[in-house]
Amino acid sequence: MSNGGGGDEDAGTKRVADRYLKREVLGEGTYGVVFKAIDTKTGVTVAIKRIRLGKYKEGVNFTALREIKLLKELKDPNIIELIDAFPYKGNLHLVFEFMETDLEAVIRDRNIVLSPADIKSYIQMMLKGLSFCHKKWVLHRDMKPNNLLIGAEGQLKLGDFGLARIFGSPERNFTHQVFARWYRAPELLFGTKQYGSAVDVWAAGCIFAELLLRRPFLQGSSDIDQLGKIFAAFGTPKSSQWPDMVYLPDYVEYQFVSAPPLRSLFPMASDDALDLLSKMFTYDPKARITAQQALEHRYFSSVPAPTKPALLPRPKLKGDSGNDKIPDLNLQGGPVVLSPPRKLRRVSAPDGTESNIHRAEKAEEIPPTGLRRHTDENMSSQSSRIPMSVDVGVVFGTRPAPRPTLNSADKSRLKRKLDMDPDFGLVRHFVLVWTMSFECCLLGHYAARHPTLILSSLPAYYMPRRLATTYSMLAHVIPPPPPEEELSHDDFGEFDEEVNEETMRNAEWSEGLEPANPE
Amino acid sequence: MAANFWASSHSKQQLDPEEVDVVPAADRERGITTEEFRLVKIHMSSHIWRLAQQVKVRQRVIATAITYFRRVYTRKSMTEYDPRLVAPACLYLASKVEESTVQARLLVFYIKKMCGPDDKYRFEIKDILEMEMKLLEALDYYLVVYHPYRPLLHLLQNAGITDLTQFAWGLVNDTYKMDLILIYPPYMIALACIYIASVLKDKDTTSWFEELRVDMNIVKNISMEILDFYETYKVDPQRGLSDEKISPVMNKLPTKA
Repeated sequence: MSNGGGGDEDAGTKRVADRYLKREVLGEGTYGVVFKAIDTKTGVTVAIKRIRLGKYKEGVNFTALREIKLLKELKDPNIIELIDAFPYKGNLHLVFEFMETDLEAVIRDRNIVLSPADIKSYIQMMLKGLSFCHKKWVLHRDMKPNNLLIGAEGQLKLGDFGLARIFGSPERNFTHQVFARWYRAPELLFGTKQYGSAVDVWAAGCIFAELLLRRPFLQGSSDIDQLGKIFAAFGTPKSSQWPDMVYLPDYVEYQFVSAPPLRSLFPMASDDALDLLSKMFTYDPKARITAQQALEHRYFSSVPAPTKPALLPRPKLKGDSGNDKIPDLNLQGGPVVLSPPRKLRRVSAPDGTESNIHRAEKAEEIPPTGLRRHTDENMSSQSSRIPMSVDVGVVFGTRPAPRPTLNSADKSRLKRKLDMDPDFGLVRHFVLVWTMSFECCLLGHYAARHPTLILSSLPAYYMPRRLATTYSMLAHVIPPPPPEEELSHDDFGEFDEEVNEETMRNAEWSEGLEPANPE
Repeated sequence: MAANFWASSHSKQQLDPEEVDVVPAADRERGITTEEFRLVKIHMSSHIWRLAQQVKVRQRVIATAITYFRRVYTRKSMTEYDPRLVAPACLYLASKVEESTVQARLLVFYIKKMCGPDDKYRFEIKDILEMEMKLLEALDYYLVVYHPYRPLLHLLQNAGITDLTQFAWGLVNDTYKMDLILIYPPYMIALACIYIASVLKDKDTTSWFEELRVDMNIVKNISMEILDFYETYKVDPQRGLSDEKISPVMNKLPTKA
């Protein structure tokens, strides 16, 4: 490549690879910096990801490679377009179409009112993109609102294919450590290694619910808690509902809870919306509706018709004036049921956590800084008024917990080890009881169902700390987890040479026949 | 992308037979003939194969690596892109793309072990990583490749001649010593291998082929190419081409600076 300008750190009018006029940095992600740029050939604004080369000599970042590989094949109006890729000064650069915002920003912008038609439009675009992926035998595996990008014309597109992969061949094991926890399907939480497009549909269902509720639907604080939240919403699955459940690797029996009427969870949703939701949240992945079937559901043909993308409400962008022109009264107009303080507190949540960094990965995902600062201030003043011992947010599931991202997988893997290793059976029981009781003390109405409330009298803040120390105490006795056949995202983030060599040695080698990967 | 080869980038990148054995200008200047160009590709394909056996990766990874290797030389010269480095770099890239990563340092280690004193084949990790980036560009970032293995199994099952699997599978492996994968759709290659296998093993598949409604001329052409290849080269499956045959050609190529 011809090297045009000097140091490419400074945003300005530097040319990258003689073609792109560099503008401001939009964010820093797990594997590089994203900046805005103008393509001088076409005059179009683009977002360029500069892929950092790994410091552990692993060459081109694995996640980036996945994105390149799959996005070169997936060309669809509802999937982010990879326009170009080029090496420049030893770094790989990926050029994407520029996206203004993302669905998470829409959901949490309290100035936005989402009509049922708007929600329908978003869900339809999401399912169209997803159905296209599945037709091409690609699993997205990281569906969540901030990976659903929104363009200047209001079109929604699936982004971030860093975890996606080709599926469809039997007997290939995949890692179950995919998706941010709140969007993880029950089969993944039970540790399945063979799964299909149904996992994306479950996550899509969670996003649908989140659009209706204007807050994340199932906010588990651990994998076990996540399952608890799912079962509390839809009832503990019976084996008649999901015959394969008991054979899953991490299956644990949960106390039976019956499902509350779905209507009670989504008071504002239409009957058709509820019917579609219930089909997307079907426990048995084999019986769960597919993305394509969902698109054919009567929800999309009944009134109101989905809003045209260009007419969808969008969050205020940086530079837009009149930030607070819209009165708060508007909140009562739509299906927003949250009161402002809680809403604000949720926005503030991830502070200096990994998820924050992860979120900043994509330019398009960064909320307008002005707006964010504004809410942050509000927030801190709000939270200081809330007494420390009783966390109202937790009780209502609107706790300002950091949105879990994949990085939380490391911890949960340790936990899984605890859960599964027979030597730690006791510990597992202890942890389970503890987690259960933790939940109990938080969710009052479940208390009656769990008899083991030994610890519930302890103050709530005490629990997580104790749990954390238990884990850290055990950490040094626990052998490292067995290498997974497939290296996930995180494995490469924390490149462990030992484990990788081991993985390599264990890699299958078949002289004759092998179940080949999908063609 | 199991279902749709036709909508894939692989299908759009298919070449005509005349396009694949074109010796790049820079190589021609060094006196490399079409035949020698072909020999280098055969030699390096088995180099990739042997290296892959050392580091133990799935067969699919090898097939993808060789496809990359052959694609590169439809666009780049061997003078500029040293095949001795491109080969392990293709294996490295393919292992990542097919989700069974092999570390670059292991490749370096096994190359040393395999090639012994011949330091023309020796490279450092940094060489492989640099070449990886250049490869991505040379491949125009198209990384998904389809192979005949999967259609082969389906077709054999459909024809009810699964007892030929082992033999036909071996034939498919050998097709990677040619440029067929750049020219024909994978299932046609699979069909050609089934055709050869059934003729050699005296299985009557005529009526089955008739029902398939594929262009039998293409299947027969591919089969002839495969048989011609066996006749012409007689490549030793373990050692590849003989030294006397390949060394003079390799010596025409520049060695690393």
